[in-house]
Amino acid sequence: MTAREILESYEEISIESQTGDDFFVFRLYGKTFLLITPNKDDFSSRPRIYLYNDAGFDFPHVLLYDEEVKENTLIPEGTYRSVCLYEPESIVFSVISYEDKLFDAIERLIELLTMSKAEREKEFQKEFMYYWNCGLAGRNAIVFLCQEDNFSKFVLYSNKQDTRFVEEGIVLSDINYRNKGERKWSERVDIEAYYIPVLDNRGILPPYRGRPWTTHNVKDIVYGKQIEHISFDTYQCLKTTQVSTRNMVLVFGMKGEQASITFAVMIKCNNNTRNTRRTILEKIREDAVAVEPIKTKREDYTFLSNIIGNDIGLRGKRALLIGAGSLGSYVAFEIIKNGVSNIKIYDDDILSNENLLRWAYGGLGVGRNKAEHISLLLNIMHPEIKAEGIPKSIDEKELANEVKNFDLVIVTIGNSDTQLKFNRMLNNIGCNIPVLYTWIEAGGEFSHILYVDYSKPGCYECLFTNESGEYVNNRASIAPEIVESNMIRNGCGGTRAAYGTAVLLRTTATLLTTFQKIISGELQGSTLIDITPNSAMNSLTPFPMEACSCCGH
Amino acid sequence: MKLKKEFESFFRKIRIDDETHVLKEKRDILQDDIESKLPEILADHGITISKSDIRMIDQGSYKYKTTITADVVDRDVAVIIPLDINDNPDPREIKGYLKDSITIWQRSVSVKEPCVRASYYENGEEWLHIDLPLYADDGGFKYLARGKATSDDYTWEPADPDGLNADLCDKILGHDQLRRIICYIKKWRNEKYAGSSGDHEIPPSIGLTYLACDCFIEQTGSDGDDDLLAFQKTMQGIKDRFVCTCYDGEVLTADISRRLPVEPYSDVFQKMKDSSTSYMVKFYKRLSKAVDNLTNAVNVESPHDAAEYIQKVLGTDFDVPPKEAVTAVTQSKREHSFG
Ligand SMILES: [Zn+2]
Ligand SMILES: [Zn+2]
Repeated sequence: MTAREILESYEEISIESQTGDDFFVFRLYGKTFLLITPNKDDFSSRPRIYLYNDAGFDFPHVLLYDEEVKENTLIPEGTYRSVCLYEPESIVFSVISYEDKLFDAIERLIELLTMSKAEREKEFQKEFMYYWNCGLAGRNAIVFLCQEDNFSKFVLYSNKQDTRFVEEGIVLSDINYRNKGERKWSERVDIEAYYIPVLDNRGILPPYRGRPWTTHNVKDIVYGKQIEHISFDTYQCLKTTQVSTRNMVLVFGMKGEQASITFAVMIKCNNNTRNTRRTILEKIREDAVAVEPIKTKREDYTFLSNIIGNDIGLRGKRALLIGAGSLGSYVAFEIIKNGVSNIKIYDDDILSNENLLRWAYGGLGVGRNKAEHISLLLNIMHPEIKAEGIPKSIDEKELANEVKNFDLVIVTIGNSDTQLKFNRMLNNIGCNIPVLYTWIEAGGEFSHILYVDYSKPGCYECLFTNESGEYVNNRASIAPEIVESNMIRNGCGGTRAAYGTAVLLRTTATLLTTFQKIISGELQGSTLIDITPNSAMNSLTPFPMEACSCCGH
Repeated sequence: MKLKKEFESFFRKIRIDDETHVLKEKRDILQDDIESKLPEILADHGITISKSDIRMIDQGSYKYKTTITADVVDRDVAVIIPLDINDNPDPREIKGYLKDSITIWQRSVSVKEPCVRASYYENGEEWLHIDLPLYADDGGFKYLARGKATSDDYTWEPADPDGLNADLCDKILGHDQLRRIICYIKKWRNEKYAGSSGDHEIPPSIGLTYLACDCFIEQTGSDGDDDLLAFQKTMQGIKDRFVCTCYDGEVLTADISRRLPVEPYSDVFQKMKDSSTSYMVKFYKRLSKAVDNLTNAVNVESPHDAAEYIQKVLGTDFDVPPKEAVTAVTQSKREHSFG
């Protein structure tokens, strides 16, 4: 079927003009649209539809930007607003026929235009942040929250473009940075700002064409007539919290379909002279004369993790990482991205050029201490991350002290003697946090993770003990012999095992899964995991060992 | 189960869980006014009561949580005062005193047949009224003050506001599916009677609530409550309770009764029947239409088509899932991009 035939098959549609096979101007439900058909030679091409010369039409998915077209031979002069028919990259167009693409696009357009009021509200709410931020100029509000459910106050910091709204209780590591003596962020005291959690978001719509927000929109949220949008506790806070600045900013937070919606609005107030200390509620109900939406972005660590689905249960956990070599560099990077925002790293080694190709962070930092350098890079990633690098090897006494300050320990030094020493000590002190030992076998192909819960049977030394209680070489090993040719002699007995980054990535990925299993309770007690190029699984190696002279009896 | 998600979302849209802060405040102010002024006004007319004698209790749907969103918020608060009805035989006078005690410029107060009504306006439109049925407590027996301000038709009607509350709370609270079905039925009533303004033309909430309680049978399936089926069966049950006379396929009369389980044991539809026989026929016809649509919704396979039938009953707040055929082409090809 041709595009014309497809359009003509709809009673509701009347074609006004056609240019070639690709451009159709048609009427539908009293509006004029431009259809640009998919390119027949490019199977990934999609149809596009624009609303023609209708600046005032408020409708979800009809985008707010006008495109002016002048002196064009293909389509009529005028303004075009793109109609958003598809969620970005949600459909594989290549597998759909030309005809189906057109039918589908028109069905979608009809569906869009015949939405009920309730459905329209829902769509507007889905794209709340797009409509909220659209066309707003001025300083952005960058919001950092540590919780979403309770009323709270912000501390404000500004630089040239942005104002950070930092909930009391959050510490940002870069807030005191100076550049050539000048502060990057300076605290603002000219305006107070508060966070108001919205529990029931029915009827709360973003501003859109012809419907800007007024004081009524704000009043309706905090002082709803029929629907209570905020909690009783929040309402009490609004009633009792006094504001000392004339204007104030309110940051509202509500649950959206996928992610939380956070938007800030400046409340301009008249100068109420009879009483300088007014409560938030009084200011909203009596003093507010105008509201100005502020372009808002939420950037706290929790939110940024949530929107990409990084949640393996590590949120808010403090990790002690021993060893910042190749594996340690990958592990540090990944656990930070997966929820650990507080990490301390011990390593006495210096980063050299020879390390770079199996080092997680690119080319910077050669000649610097590995632990300190990783910490520096992690801290840059997000201001809520607190990474501390200690340029030394940790000893047993220090480790015994440190475990009190953390929620988990990861050992990525790969040295059996040191790990055995640590293991004994941790067992003796009755360490009550999870400890994960990791190592790569000689040969560089196989690796292991041992999770030890010292309150249950099994420890690192079990792997070096046979059934009669004698010491043996690590029983977990999969490769039969040390592969001599894989060792690079460094002189003076120093060697560097030749293994690639694939084993590092496998081990790191398995470590993340292991955390998830520990936290979810799937792993009950100490567990040994074997990682091969083909699989990662709980080991068949006998473990724990009752004859172990460390954990056995 | 068909349309489970849509019913959940619909209920979220229409439900009112609790009084808003604004309503609480308005009610508190009203209560303060009554407590501080009514004893004085009554004293001027030789009736002695003290502030602590006045009892105000929540009545109606807020009490048993079947309130739904509406254009005007409707709140019922009973005012109970100790009063000898033999010494004060005219309830219209006492209602007048109650009216006087709350008349200030911020609210408009009027005397209705069963209550005194305080209305609140914003930008010229009423958004809230608080109805205050007035009860005399005469030696433990309670009597509702009935009668419009100027009407000759007035009486102290025996009543049991606490008993009624207790009965409905007992039937409804803790039975969440029933609670939702009552909300759907009220929503249906509001949709179908949106243009009606005649006195007693609209089936009263208390009547619908009791009929729903009588006819409701819980419906659950493997994945939880089946609100569609429960709604359909309850409406069918109510329809079956009607007694109709037909001639030539046309419904001539329709009758349904539901007596209150407490004083005055009256039929909650009596006023509706007394006003016009056509009101009951209209009620029956609209109900039958709804039952037909709901039955179709139960019987059709496609959720999209079923939802369209339900929209005819509950209005466009009810979501219609996309047509299966249209979306099958593109929806099966969804994927993520590496962003
Ligand atoms: Zn869109
Ligand atoms: Zn052991």
